[in-house]
This record gives sequence, C-alpha cells and structure tokens, in this order.
Amino acid sequence: MNFSLTEEQEMVQKTVREFVQNELIPLEQEMLRNDREGKIPITDEKIKELQLKAKEMGFWGINTPEEYGGANLGPILTTLINIELGKTIVPFTFGGDADNILYYCNEEQKKKYLIPVINGEKECCFALTEPGAGSDARNIKMSAEKDGDHYVLNGEKIFISRAHKADFAMVFAVTDKEKRGRGGVTCFLVDREMGWRTEPIHTMDDWIVSSVIFENVRVPEENILGELGRGFELALSWITMGRIKIGAWSVGTAERLLEMAIEQANSRVAFGKPIGEYQAIQWMIADSAVEIEAAKWQVLYAAYLAEKGVDDNRQTASMAKLYAANMVNRVVDRVLQIHGGMGITKEFPIERWYRTVRKYRIFEGTDEILRRTIARNLLKGYVKIGEIK
Amino acid sequence: MNIFVLMKRTFDTEEKVQIKDNSIVEDGVEFIINPYDEYAIEEAIRIRDEVGGEVTVVTVGPEEAEKELRTALAMGADKAILINPEGLKADENTIANLLVAVLKDKQFDLLLGGNLSVDNGAGQVAVRVAEMLDIPQVTTITKLELDGTQAVVERDVEGDTEVIQVNLPAMFTAQQGLNEPRYPSLPGIMKAKKKPLEKLTPADLGLSEEQLVAHTETLSYHPPAAREAGRIMEGDLDQQVKDLVRLLREEAKVL
Repeated sequence: MNFSLTEEQEMVQKTVREFVQNELIPLEQEMLRNDREGKIPITDEKIKELQLKAKEMGFWGINTPEEYGGANLGPILTTLINIELGKTIVPFTFGGDADNILYYCNEEQKKKYLIPVINGEKECCFALTEPGAGSDARNIKMSAEKDGDHYVLNGEKIFISRAHKADFAMVFAVTDKEKRGRGGVTCFLVDREMGWRTEPIHTMDDWIVSSVIFENVRVPEENILGELGRGFELALSWITMGRIKIGAWSVGTAERLLEMAIEQANSRVAFGKPIGEYQAIQWMIADSAVEIEAAKWQVLYAAYLAEKGVDDNRQTASMAKLYAANMVNRVVDRVLQIHGGMGITKEFPIERWYRTVRKYRIFEGTDEILRRTIARNLLKGYVKIGEIK
Repeated sequence: MNIFVLMKRTFDTEEKVQIKDNSIVEDGVEFIINPYDEYAIEEAIRIRDEVGGEVTVVTVGPEEAEKELRTALAMGADKAILINPEGLKADENTIANLLVAVLKDKQFDLLLGGNLSVDNGAGQVAVRVAEMLDIPQVTTITKLELDGTQAVVERDVEGDTEVIQVNLPAMFTAQQGLNEPRYPSLPGIMKAKKKPLEKLTPADLGLSEEQLVAHTETLSYHPPAAREAGRIMEGDLDQQVKDLVRLLREEAKVL
C-alpha cells in the first residue's frame, strides 16, 4: 500500500496550487465586488484569457489524447488538479478539453465538432434531462421521427448547462418508441442554426442552466453520434465522468474553507480570548478536518480505481461523490458559523460557496440516486463488502 | 551558450519558522527553489531559448533537494547536479568550495545565481565562487543583454540603475525584477524525470578537509522580538509632542 504521490504528481499539484494562488485567488475580491454591484462576477472572456495563460505553461487539454495535442492525464492527476481548482470561487477549468463522448464522432464529425471544441472555437452542451425525466433518464420523451434522410426532433430539455452559449448540442431523443431507454435512444449533434432555442433559468449561484426547446428541428442523418439506438450508453459514460470531479471540487473547497476558519479562529477575539480557544469552535474545526480527510481519500481511491478501470458499477465513485458533496455542505455551514456576521456578508466568499456547493448534492447524480446505486450494488451482490482493490 | 545556475533549496516563504533545541525545525515544512534563484533559472532558460546552448542547475543540499532540481528541469533546464555534503557542517565557504570543485573543469560562458537566499540571507556563495574562479561578477542585476563575448547588465543600486559592460565568462546574481519566472509546464513536468541529474558527494570531488571546514559557526538562533501593540498619545498637540520626544529619548533611546 502506498499513499504517497509520485514526483510528477507532486509537481503538477504544486504548480496548479501556485497557479490558483497567484492567478485566480487575487481575482476573488473583484468577483465579489462585481457581484455586490449586480454585475457578472467574472466574464467568459476573462476565463478564456486565463486559459490561454495556462496554455502557455502547457496546461491545456489535460484530458485530451496526445494525438489531438493534449496531455491525456489519467483520473488520478485530473483529480489532484480538480482538488486544487476547487480552492477558489473563480469558476476556472483548463481549456482544450472536449466532452468524452465527442470522441465517438466519425471522421467528418470530428472536423466539424470535436476539433473545434478542443481548440475552443466551438462550445457545446449535453442535453439529456427533460421536465419529466431527470434521474430516471430512461424515460425521456423527446421524439426523433425519421423523414427521408433527416430526423425531426420535438420536445423539451431542461437544466442544461452551457446551452445558452452553445454552438451545438448533444441531444438524446427517442428513435424507437418500443425500445426507448433500452436501445431506442439516439444521440444527435444538433447545431444551433438547425433551429433549437434556449430560455435561461437562473439558479441560486451564477450557474446558468437553460430549457432547450425543439419544435420540428430537422437534423440530417449524418449527425447521429455513435450508433442509432445506442445513445443511452453514451449518456451514461458522460455522466460517470462527473462524479469524481464533483468529489474533488468538494474536497478542495472544504480545504480552503477550513483554512479560512482556522485564520478566523486564531485572530477573532471574543471575551478576551481568540475564539479558537473555545471548545465549540474547536469541535467544528476538528469535525471538518476529519470529514475532509475521509472524503479526500475516498475521492482519490475512486480516481485510483478509475485509473485501473476496476470500479465495479461505479460503486466507489458514487460513494465518494455522495460523501464529499455532503461533507462540503456541512463544512461550509460550520465555517460560515465560525465567521459569524462576517460569514453572511458578500465581502467574503463564504456565503457564495454556501450557495454553490448546495448543487453538488443535486447534479451529476442526486444524493438519492447515488444511494440507490450504492444499495442496489450491495443488495444484488455486484459489489463485495470490505474488498480492497 | 553554456550556462550554469547556482540554486538553493529554501524554506517556503509562507512557512512559519520554528526554533527548537537551537535549530530550525524542518519537519513538515514545505521547501521551494530560493525565489532569487528562480529568476536566475528563468533568465538562463530564456537566453538558451534565444541563442541556443545548455542550462545546468547546480545545488549543494540534502538528498531532498532533488525535488527542487526536478522543478528547475520541469521549467526547462537541461541538466542538474546535486552535491550532497552528507552531514558536513557547511557554511558559505564550504558550499562555494564544493561548487567550484564542480565548475572548475566545466566549459561555461555564463554563471547565474540569486542575489541571496531568503533563509540565511548571506548573499555570499555566488560572489565567492566567482572570486575563486577568477571571473568578473556583478550582483543584484535587473537586466541582462548579451553582445557577443560581452554582457551588458543593469544593476539596482538603491533606487538608481548602474549599467555595466562585462566580459564573459562572468557571474551575475539576480535581483527581483529581472524577469517573471515561468511555471513548470505540464509537458515539462512529465519530461523532468528523464533529464540527467548527477549526484555527487565531497568524496567524489577530491577536496581536502581544510577546504571543507566551515569558517563560521552559528551559536544560537532566536526569533525577532514580538511586535507590541502601538500607543496612542493623548492630550493636546503640544503635550503629545512633548510626550513623544520624552519617550523617544527615555524608552526607545533613539534620540
């Protein structure tokens, strides 16, 4: 058993940590000020500028295969990076990555969709969820009727991230009403010009999602991604990617929050003593530290299994995401409490995180659906208790 | 252009210095490349990228200093040399002797180092090395331009700038402002492990005991006195001035 990082892992971690410290955290005050003044906290242009700066140092396409100019990092390094990126409220990710399922593009599609996404020339969104089908995605209703060499799409998608600015959508629609989620769902690459429209939905943080409306949108047959009727498999592989990432962000955010709590506990004096000398505060700090540690190793273990490709039925990834997302919600609550009145102000990033991390328990698998997965894996004997891989 | 950079592994400037049993506690402390040496490494890489050649980073330090050397390699240096004094009581004289023992047989056009290290702040090693190698040296430079077999450097002199023309080979030490050091690149990090890193001990360098003996001894370490809260003078302005003068004379003893 070896819990230490390799030299490369350590160096990548340290470099990203410095990048976050020097390039991102200094932007937080401005973001908070913009937010207080009712402006967009940080623009897409600014994020792009930061991505280009990171590109200069070779941090670009971290999950993109080398043949497309990427670094092709595995789940462990990606997770170490995501933990560091979780330490700031700046919504930054390194550029040059495409959604994993876009690699199922055929050669023609690659030129039109995959490569422009990797190069940052096109943006796309993943449109699966519908008003009547979220966690139960097999129940999607959006129809795709064949008409000559086209398909005609009708229906509505909802809570779609990035849709308001996407150039094309990866849309899941029913091509066989008999089979539906069992071989009757197909994924289409649908350009905005083909006629879909979006209506933004504002959420409790800056995250904008949209409802995406399709009314007789005609999509040429050659825009099927992968195979006809095999869309649901693609959807599943896309969703899995996100679980470890949310866990990693949760750990990073919680670590930064704990640092803030310790600073506050040592410097804020009440009744003649720093508040860190009171047991009430100590317990909050201790509990947070213990839970962060537990989550961190769970997330890293999930990444390790993903790297080895042996996480049966995504059991460990589901457990890590469930635990870490809940952990960061408890930690942010305690840290806000330790900061007292300052904690609820918009002068500090805490209240912002309080709103941001709540969604970690909802998207990429709700708490409930994760528990369902975990329990079913156990009840049906797909996963053995206590096994270490 | 063959460039050698002297590098030191130092305490992370974010770390709190703790003293125990008359020595500095190093357990659990993060180490970094001395920030001034980082400017030197950056400058060396830039020059190499412009005119070609090779950058070798040399350090005297413990086994763990390999990590900082690898970081320099990840930034873009080509080779590294680690001289491990292995428990030897080393001061600036010892370190300079070890470095000279390595450098004297090498072909070099340019030597670079940091102006000082942020831990001990002696600022002696690079200067001693240059003296012992009998080459020109200019400290605290903020600009370096090469012109054939000469270099024109700008040097920070208490707010003014001194411009000096120097024949190569020469030693220059970097001051803040020389450049903006790069981050190690992702491809650089992945390649760093494969770059050559030579490990040497004093025994490999054939130095006499006398050359290795430290000429200085640190008797004790103590933290600077804790800063006390300020005092606000009271009364009317005349009274305040009188009180202040009296305190400066009697308590602070600066008048």
